[in-house]
Amino acid sequence: MNYGYMGKWLKVNLSSKEMSDFDFPEDLLRKFIGGKGLAVYYLWNYAKELEKKGVNIKEMDALSPDNILFFSTGPVTGTRSPNSGRHHVMALKSPLTGSIGSGNTGGTWGAKLKFAGYDGIVFEGKSDTPVYLSIIDGKPELHDASEIWGKNTMDTTKWLQEKHERKRAGVSCIGPAGENLVPCAVIMNEIHRAAGRTGLGAIMGSKNLKAIIVDGNAKPQIAKQEEFETKVKEHVEKLKENGVTGEGLPTYGTAVLVNIINQNGLFPTKNWQTGVDKEAENISGETLTEKYLISKHPCWGCVVACGRKTKVELGPYKISFTEGPEYEAIWALGGSTNVNNMGAVIRANHYCDIFGMDPISIGSTIAAAMELNEKGLIPEEDLQGLKVEFGNPDAIVELTWMAAFRQGLGYWIGEGSRKMCEHYGAPEISMSVKGLEMPAYDPRGAKGIGLNYATANRGGCHVTGYTIAAEVLGDVDRFTIEGKAELTKTFQDFTSIVNSCVNCLFLTFALGLDEYVEMIGPITGWDITADELLKTGERITNLERMILNKLGITGKDDTLPKRLLEEKMPEGASEGQIVELEPMKQEYYKLRGWEDGVPTPEKIKELELEI
Amino acid sequence: MKIYIKVFAHLRKKYPNVNDLNPLELEVNKNTTVEEVIDKLNFKLEEIHLILLNGKKVSKNQLVEENCTISLFPPIGGG
Repeated sequence: MNYGYMGKWLKVNLSSKEMSDFDFPEDLLRKFIGGKGLAVYYLWNYAKELEKKGVNIKEMDALSPDNILFFSTGPVTGTRSPNSGRHHVMALKSPLTGSIGSGNTGGTWGAKLKFAGYDGIVFEGKSDTPVYLSIIDGKPELHDASEIWGKNTMDTTKWLQEKHERKRAGVSCIGPAGENLVPCAVIMNEIHRAAGRTGLGAIMGSKNLKAIIVDGNAKPQIAKQEEFETKVKEHVEKLKENGVTGEGLPTYGTAVLVNIINQNGLFPTKNWQTGVDKEAENISGETLTEKYLISKHPCWGCVVACGRKTKVELGPYKISFTEGPEYEAIWALGGSTNVNNMGAVIRANHYCDIFGMDPISIGSTIAAAMELNEKGLIPEEDLQGLKVEFGNPDAIVELTWMAAFRQGLGYWIGEGSRKMCEHYGAPEISMSVKGLEMPAYDPRGAKGIGLNYATANRGGCHVTGYTIAAEVLGDVDRFTIEGKAELTKTFQDFTSIVNSCVNCLFLTFALGLDEYVEMIGPITGWDITADELLKTGERITNLERMILNKLGITGKDDTLPKRLLEEKMPEGASEGQIVELEPMKQEYYKLRGWEDGVPTPEKIKELELEI
Repeated sequence: MKIYIKVFAHLRKKYPNVNDLNPLELEVNKNTTVEEVIDKLNFKLEEIHLILLNGKKVSKNQLVEENCTISLFPPIGGG
């Protein structure tokens, strides 16, 4: 067994109900680390196997039994290294985008999977009836899930913990949205933490897999314990001393970004028609803290604690307890829709959590529906009397639950903005890339994030390469396109490392590549360097891109919605700006060693990806 | 001349009622720099990470303008 790992991955064939353990050799672990990296490696080989069997993966239905789900931790997960309770989930194909499926989540489940004795789980096939998987003290078992099919994520979690008499066990599950095969469905863990993008919950639903409960007392072994403990202490100190991880995030949560992004004029408002929300203060982190916060809620082993326990005391959206919302959810449900009503945002976000949906895609799609309706493109009979208008708090609350249960216009909200806008004859209204709704930063106000949205493998995603940390929160000129190709590439490759370790991306506000060497080295015993690590990140990004190429996704798909390329920002601190994507993209391809979005044979050889 | 101040995140501990919708009105002389405004507000320069003047990023040496809005941020991040 290798240090840092439990040395066991579980393969579950849901069709035959067969289960078997497998492991990866050390050279592969070092080349792909874990988490996202190993999942990408596994998916690449699986795609090749499917092709050999004659399956056309470009045409394959993402909800067919041929798709697979890979839950994975890494060598850092579940150790005393800070913020290491996370895990990564991937699928060969997303039902929302048709590209790769990918989600990274906090909580405690990742650590608890390792304590249960496993590094990861891969699900193949489809069960004929609803089932759930338990792994308790190293023993995996499939169980009938008919009693919990239909339950929300809160009731499912409590039911499983009581049934197994393990009140602190980790539960990953889907809600009604996943069961109803909603393409915006997520996989939730600890009720309020989501592997939240690209519709992974619908894949779980398509396999009739309701939940995975994990618990145990096993621990990963550390190669150089003393050195590791010293580095853990140093890293914790750095996190506490850093203004972002030591004060901003603990005090206000991620919602602290609302005001700074809005003041810089890149807070996408009214479905990205402007970057200024004149009443964003009402949905800011400061307002959340002052009026709605009960307490902070850290993930496993976290020293930052950006999670929020919240309530709405009065009014139509009253709720005695929930968690969140995070910055992205606040923006999508409350900013993009111009609903500056925190109570409604908290209620709609709560529905996303308990019914199991991605608030970014749901909120963004509701905003697109509001613009479609503003332009008179949604027939009256589809609106069913609901005022789908910018600024209407009832619209976001109603349409969110309607999406989970595929009711009325909610059907199209759950399908995501690309399919909805195509259905209503105005595809340009969808603010998505590769079918994934973009998150809360208008790239007309920060050009690097535009290049990242265009090139990110999973689609319109900020956490693939969070250049905002440098462009808005740091000292890099946000309007220039010079140097943005290199900035984006570096952020993307570094993030591939973080998502393979697996720990929290927020660590990177205080810890850099050298600190990641200081984690991975002592844990695994590998004499690893920063250069090797960055090359590993590049390898993972490239292999993921090679899977996209197999799915038919190339340079033509590395683009942005026309609005961002052609319509100047109308007002505010980013007024007059568009995204000059093409020159950045060409420079990026050159740096990457790609031609038209495809890694060249030379690059594939250099990264040892002739596999 | 009059200028307007907005403070964010933990800078509000000192000015709990000052926000985007309710800026602080301040009377300053011509040729006042942002640094002097920060001092007048009883903030230490090292507490301030980002300064915007009418939404545009400026340095501490920037001269303020009549009726301008100065937005002050400590180090923050998220995502």
